[in-house]
Amino acid sequence: MPSPHPIVAALASCLIAVSFSSHTLAAGQSGPVVKLFPTTVLEDIRETSAVAEELENNLQEIIHRLDMQQQLYQESLCEGADADQGCARMAKQLGATYLEMLNAMGERLPEMERAVNNTRNSLEKRLRQELGQRTTPTTLQNQLLGQTAAVSATTRPALRGRSGVRLSDRFKQYYDLVATHRNGPSKSLAVVAADIYLDMEEASQLIAATQQEISRAALMEQLNQSFGLITPEMAAVVGGVKEILFGEAGGETPIAAPPYAIGQDTFVSPLEM
Amino acid sequence: MTRYVCILLAATLGLGACATQQNTAHCSAPLNRDLDTAMMEVEQRLASGCEYHFDRYFQQLLSTAEDNPDAENKSRFSDHLLRANEMGVISQRQAKELYNRYFNVKFVSLTGDYNTCAQTCPVRSEVMNNMQNELRDKQVGLLKASADKTGYYRADHLLKEAQLVLEATCRACNAGAQ
Repeated sequence: MPSPHPIVAALASCLIAVSFSSHTLAAGQSGPVVKLFPTTVLEDIRETSAVAEELENNLQEIIHRLDMQQQLYQESLCEGADADQGCARMAKQLGATYLEMLNAMGERLPEMERAVNNTRNSLEKRLRQELGQRTTPTTLQNQLLGQTAAVSATTRPALRGRSGVRLSDRFKQYYDLVATHRNGPSKSLAVVAADIYLDMEEASQLIAATQQEISRAALMEQLNQSFGLITPEMAAVVGGVKEILFGEAGGETPIAAPPYAIGQDTFVSPLEM
Repeated sequence: MTRYVCILLAATLGLGACATQQNTAHCSAPLNRDLDTAMMEVEQRLASGCEYHFDRYFQQLLSTAEDNPDAENKSRFSDHLLRANEMGVISQRQAKELYNRYFNVKFVSLTGDYNTCAQTCPVRSEVMNNMQNELRDKQVGLLKASADKTGYYRADHLLKEAQLVLEATCRACNAGAQ
């Protein structure tokens, strides 16, 4: 099993980062701590979402073509039949589509990088000011506890690192989340902001690494075009991108333990903080 | 004359040692397995020269409570700590810290009056370790002794969220300091 290609990892991270944006919009509209999400931050997040959506749309069509070509290649029993001219032609076509995918990513990534960096920087500033400088550990804890008490299993947000859900479906899920938040309890915005910020930072680093990797991978594929090979690396990259774009909804890992009953009578000690 | 003084001194020391031995035995005697009774015994002993055994008694009482989990145990311990404070065995601060460490969802390890960038970030890993240890104590106090699953899971949830928020906040603080 080949390790995930950096491109795939970067893309996954971008998509994850973007996935939180809708949730943030939802939370930002209903939560009391609006200072973490002023209009500028929301605009940055919205833009990042749009850029990522464009990237997804572009790649989706290419991935579909790659899928068809790969299927044809396999059904024609071309694996291992390097000498066959027809198979060699199919392998070249497959390689060309793969190159197209790399180019599509290469073209969109600078824009993605700019959007992600903007969001990261604006969130970084807000986190520093609001949670770092204007909050004590005691108030931070109170804020987290006050809001976690109302979170139910259905409104619990995804954890960082969740991937494999079709992006459009994810947006739909976030729309539902917005609807729930309109009348329901709100998730701690501190957690949402922290989550997005860390994801954006990771995404930013991975995008930079991916941009370097794309030129290397493109060069390798141009060389492979001369020989008409389908490399395991190609298969791994395509597989990974497919998983991100068309994957099934992964098992959502709860951020903590099972939900608890709300509203039960509890003893309050005079010693309590 | 010197001889008599020596004998008197030896007798006094002997009596003292005897009294100390008696006191030690009285302080170390096993506690009743019923929590209310055990707490009364502890309080009597604390009032009669065994105050230095407070920490050990507290652990023994927790252990007794673990064997008899009950939601009321929270209030039992709260009252016991308040009485220990009134007797002057522990300060109010100690009483609060002990109660909250074992029986409250909130973490005493994450408190302070200065801003997070200045107070918590420089020692974040230490704070997280302390919170982790405190969660183990909450497991004893909330989950095992008080049968309060809800409270324990909230504490567990709070720890994880605090970990995430502090990671992001401290990173942002550092980025601003550079």
